[in-house]
Amino acid sequence: MDNNVELHQKKDLDKTNSEHEHTWQAELDEIQLRQQYAEKLGGEKNIKRQHDSGKLTSRERIHSLLDEGSFHEYGALTGKANYDQDGNFIDSIPSNIVIGKGKIKKQKVVVSADDFTVRGGSSEAASPEKMVFAENLALDLQAPLIRLVDAAGGSIRLLEKNQSTKIPGYAQWNMAEMMGQIPVIGVALGPCAGLGALRVVASHFSVMVKGTSQVFAAGPQVVAPGVKENVTKEELGGSQVHVHKSGAVHNEAKDEYDALNQVKKFLSYLPSNIYKLPARIPSSDPIDRCEDELASIIPRDKRKVYKMRKVLELIFDKDSLFEMRKHYGRSTITMFGRINGYPVGIMANDPYIYGGSMSAESAEKIENFVDLCDTFHLPIVNLVDQPGVSIGSQAEAKGTIKKAIRAMMTLSQVNIPWSTVFIRRSFGVAGAAYAPRGRANVRYAWPSAHWGSIPVEGGVEAAFRKELGNAEDPEQKLKDLIDYYKRFESPLRTAERFGIEEMIDPRRTRPILAEWVEEAYDQLPQLVGPRGRTMRI
Amino acid sequence: MALTEVTVEITGSIWKIEVSEGVQVEEDDTLIIMESMKMEIPLLSPVSGTVKELKVKEGDSVSEGEVAVIIEG
Repeated sequence: MDNNVELHQKKDLDKTNSEHEHTWQAELDEIQLRQQYAEKLGGEKNIKRQHDSGKLTSRERIHSLLDEGSFHEYGALTGKANYDQDGNFIDSIPSNIVIGKGKIKKQKVVVSADDFTVRGGSSEAASPEKMVFAENLALDLQAPLIRLVDAAGGSIRLLEKNQSTKIPGYAQWNMAEMMGQIPVIGVALGPCAGLGALRVVASHFSVMVKGTSQVFAAGPQVVAPGVKENVTKEELGGSQVHVHKSGAVHNEAKDEYDALNQVKKFLSYLPSNIYKLPARIPSSDPIDRCEDELASIIPRDKRKVYKMRKVLELIFDKDSLFEMRKHYGRSTITMFGRINGYPVGIMANDPYIYGGSMSAESAEKIENFVDLCDTFHLPIVNLVDQPGVSIGSQAEAKGTIKKAIRAMMTLSQVNIPWSTVFIRRSFGVAGAAYAPRGRANVRYAWPSAHWGSIPVEGGVEAAFRKELGNAEDPEQKLKDLIDYYKRFESPLRTAERFGIEEMIDPRRTRPILAEWVEEAYDQLPQLVGPRGRTMRI
Repeated sequence: MALTEVTVEITGSIWKIEVSEGVQVEEDDTLIIMESMKMEIPLLSPVSGTVKELKVKEGDSVSEGEVAVIIEG
């Protein structure tokens, strides 16, 4: 039994301490009895089946997620009760959703957890009122909402139960408003179809367990007759589909504990709501740690790549990085991290993927990530090595340019402190999408930085096509032209004209950002509250 | 033994092949170096295993999504 409930009962409900039975003793006993049925969920047999398939029950998941003894349940008695001929309570089967509030690292959260042990998570045993209550409770309490989803979705048998049909949706549930006010997290812990899929995906952070959870608009049994496609649950909506290809779900977890730990980690960087500030966690990592490796990590040969995640590890607080959507839009890396204990959003390019360029997928990832940071007032550090928008006919067919412009507009609308560090390249349309416009924001550049509307290599070939065609030795001519234009490429020439605010030694990036983040957090109290955004293309 | 198809990430050409059929590779080992966007972009092995088949040769032009290597492991 939940510790909280136990405590309440021990504290003031123990009848042995009183001399005579209370007036309402029978009812008090019945409440306790009904509580016990709620604890039993779908019964021992179904719980064993859940465990055998590598899954936890709703109550075990809640226990693993929340601080010890912090769960306060609502609606424990909801369910289907059986009565004897005289109308006396015999037993009951609880509804298959457990809701309540609790704490994660002492911060209040609201949890709703489906239970697959009660009638296979079927909507026949569901209580939509409870589900919607949890959503609205989170909004009222201005506390993060965590949905632990493990539900089979709609059932045609409901028609008989309700003796009618209903128009889909819940009038009292305002998903969009929630997304603008409190952190919402969706965790897929089993097959999540229809409404279940929606509850996972309509979130700021979603995570699914590899192999045991699937997300889809409709499952294989509906897909087969509907579109004549025979697929397994995993082929249709496993993590290979939604984490690695579609990007509908942010992260993959190796098991349920990993998924719940990712939820706790994600929340540790965010405030409880848009009116509060992200919490600083003091760090033992010295702010003046200047790693020598940073002065050589970018190869002099522009054709050679390097590992951006290594760069990030050398700069940010030790063990503070948390990556989201690692497998989607991979040419851009999006992470939360800390510097001197202050949480920040981090964006960086990965030269190993598309050369780090802005693909359709990475543009969408940037838009989503920047909106997330802006909503919860998390300052952003952008480490730029941007060769441009992805090129070629495949990229054009995906409308990459439009998606890149959407990402650019997203950046231009934010209201958070922003720091840009130019690591290497910054070219073309995507090269202009590195920071908000019209705001004082300091830009730093490493000596390896270079930029422009078009790179010298490639740019020379395009501009001098005719001359190169007519040249006696086209190769030599090309080399001469490249050498000539390269002399203008040094970032120090840009600095002469105040085109960049500060050229820095890469080793000093950490102390410089530590100073910046302090100033950023000084600004934040004036920036909290709801964010308005205009239409984007 | 599961087969993993390693697809190229970017349209470009095969500049250098770093492995041959039958060799053992570890996850994150470089299989092929592509040339694209004027850069040498390594294609890394997503899994550990044995190189079962090379579907490309040096100098080939490839499109995003084409299978370049099959790994068994």
